Amino acid sequence: MSWLDAFVQWTGWLGLDYRFLLDAYERGSFVAGAWVTLQLCLCTMAGSLAVGVALAAALVSGRPWLAGPTRLFVEVTRNTPTLVQLYCAFLVLNMLISEVIGGANPFTPFAWVVIVISLHKGVFHAEALRAGIEAVPQVTLEAATSLGFSRRQRLWRVELPLAVRFALPSLVNNLIELVKMTALASAIAVGDITYASILIWTQRDNVLELMILILLFFGLLSFVVNCLGRGLEARLRMPGYGH
Amino acid sequence: MATELSLGSRAAPDRLRRHAGKILALAALLVWLAAGAPPREVFAPLWEWSPALLKGFALNILISLLAIGLGTLLGLAIGALNLSPLRLLRLPGWLWVQAFRNAPLLVLIYFTTYVFPFEIRVAGHYLPFPDWLKVTLGLALPASANVAEVFRGAVASIPATQWEAARSLGFGRGQILRAIILPQCCKRMLPPWMNLYAVITMGTALASLVGVHDLIDTAQIATNTVNRVGFTVLIYASVLGLFFAYCYPISRFTRYLERRHAFQ
Amino acid sequence: MPSNDSCAPLIALRDLHLSFADTRVLRGIDLDVQRGQAVSIIGPSGSGKSTLLRCITGLLRPQRGQIRVGDTAVHELRSDAEFIALRKRVGFVFQQYNLFPHLSVLENLTIAPCKVLGRERREAQDEARRLLGKVRLEHKEHAYPGELSGGQQQRVAIARALAMRPELILFDEVTSALDPETVGEVLRTIRELIEEGMTCVLVTHEMRFAEEISDAVYFTEHGVIVEHGSPRQLFNEPRSPRTRAFLQHALGRGERERRPLVPAGAAAR
Repeated sequence: MSWLDAFVQWTGWLGLDYRFLLDAYERGSFVAGAWVTLQLCLCTMAGSLAVGVALAAALVSGRPWLAGPTRLFVEVTRNTPTLVQLYCAFLVLNMLISEVIGGANPFTPFAWVVIVISLHKGVFHAEALRAGIEAVPQVTLEAATSLGFSRRQRLWRVELPLAVRFALPSLVNNLIELVKMTALASAIAVGDITYASILIWTQRDNVLELMILILLFFGLLSFVVNCLGRGLEARLRMPGYGH
Repeated sequence: MATELSLGSRAAPDRLRRHAGKILALAALLVWLAAGAPPREVFAPLWEWSPALLKGFALNILISLLAIGLGTLLGLAIGALNLSPLRLLRLPGWLWVQAFRNAPLLVLIYFTTYVFPFEIRVAGHYLPFPDWLKVTLGLALPASANVAEVFRGAVASIPATQWEAARSLGFGRGQILRAIILPQCCKRMLPPWMNLYAVITMGTALASLVGVHDLIDTAQIATNTVNRVGFTVLIYASVLGLFFAYCYPISRFTRYLERRHAFQ
Repeated sequence: MPSNDSCAPLIALRDLHLSFADTRVLRGIDLDVQRGQAVSIIGPSGSGKSTLLRCITGLLRPQRGQIRVGDTAVHELRSDAEFIALRKRVGFVFQQYNLFPHLSVLENLTIAPCKVLGRERREAQDEARRLLGKVRLEHKEHAYPGELSGGQQQRVAIARALAMRPELILFDEVTSALDPETVGEVLRTIRELIEEGMTCVLVTHEMRFAEEISDAVYFTEHGVIVEHGSPRQLFNEPRSPRTRAFLQHALGRGERERRPLVPAGAAAR
């Protein structure tokens, strides 16, 4: 761990106090927090995409009894703070569930964060996908119909491949927003990187130092998501159609 | 659809279709009120606590207004910096935008809350620097970065031909910006700017996490004081409702502006 | 109806009516196409010509009237499966080409034969390459639609329709969206198809082309057939004053603004 020593010494010269890195326990809790944030990101990404597809399907289903309530859910989710949604789930719903089934409540705070952020970002995915579906030219679908495609074939072979291509930039943006949003987990004491940092800086009073680390960590995550998204966009690019 | 049936008038089902969600919500509320019949002991404390809740929400709105105001001024300055032809001037602006756009809101709020002192010394006097003002700063920083981006996007969306046309008429760079580009930008910036305001307003909810007595903090105190299940449900629903009542009209108006802009 | 009416027509439309909301687009259309014939439909814009074609392949459903394609009564079809069976037999080429932009040229030609007809991939690809040769685009099989000119895209669209081995092809103003330079190459492809005996129905604004290649020409206006007959009769001795007025306008404009549409070499083939 000599390079850690060197790092702490070097940053000490700059007036930054990174001595917590030399303490095995505190270093361990920080790394564990980073790992929890990573798990949160992966779970909510998968969850939000699934929710997004389901909500988009409901929105464009053309069935008023399905599209109407979905629209309402979308509007409420878009126009209220995520923290309040998290409280409504964790403090209210969780309490009600606990009352009904007693002590064996299977929902951990981690699960609630995943559920709430998945639903929240799923709404934004759904809006992007809906716009993508609406951007598919009607005449292209007509062409598929005229070639004898069934509804299902038309949906899977033409409509969705095109809709996903149109929606992809927004989806990637949403996923980057999602990465940042996972910091909210610290509000209900899920031990993510933010929460771990709070515990450390209340001991050592080195807020700025940890803040730099957190920002670098989230910056790195966003960068990775962005690169993966760009890579996918390049793979799915339709030559001759510049977005 | 395999075949598109051309039907005549469809006005009546259309109305039902468009308002299905609202009708359903209203029906659910009525059923809840009738069947669940929330008893007096739930509504009475809500009535009692409502002035405190509203006061808390007023603080949320105050923070949001100050943050967006500050963020807009700062963001326009940075945006102007980013338009500069000098690379050396553009670099700090770019760094600012990247740093504050990619940081989680909550982390920025922690940052301003814990890094700034609780009072500042100005000309021998100690001025208090309350937490809510620090939160305002914490929200103004990302707001400024986003405003700078919105500004850049708006300037970029003006076709290059307008620059050429103005240059051919003998305008200077500054003149073109002031007389031709910026007036058009204002109109294009309004929808994303309002969007940003709604986001910042919802971000004020995070103030409760650093101990500001805003709406959510008040709601938490209330639930802990009254400590009744029905009341807890009701009060969080009210918090959700208050934010929705404030933000939804903004987002509706934003969409209206966007649509009007799209058709022009 | 056409004079040499010995066998039943491949397409027969009787008293077709269709309106969109309050607009009556088709107001009683009768039309017959014999197997192996090329029939052109001409008329001013908005006279219901494209709507007519869409009715034949079931993309639109008329409110009244009968449509027969071979043995199939299109106006009686209800289920998706029945419409799909019809569309396997009827090719359609659109004004805006409507190729699938996310698929390469070869994939555009093979997707329907593979997925709809259930043909082998290899076989479909060989057939697709042969058809690309036929429309003189064999070197473009790996290109994407967005990389092709309008005329090239339209020829791919014709090849895509042919890949289904249809009994007849409907052409909906296929040259209207093209640059004047590329109109000729598309018309040449269609001409070759007609010479091979493919049954074709063309909605077109290319009067000279219609006159040259058609076995019968229909003139529509305001959703009714004003007049029909052999191209020689209709273009040279129109019976209706409406037809005469339209032709005078259309041909006059064509003569002035357009170069001759028939490439000299192609006509001799």
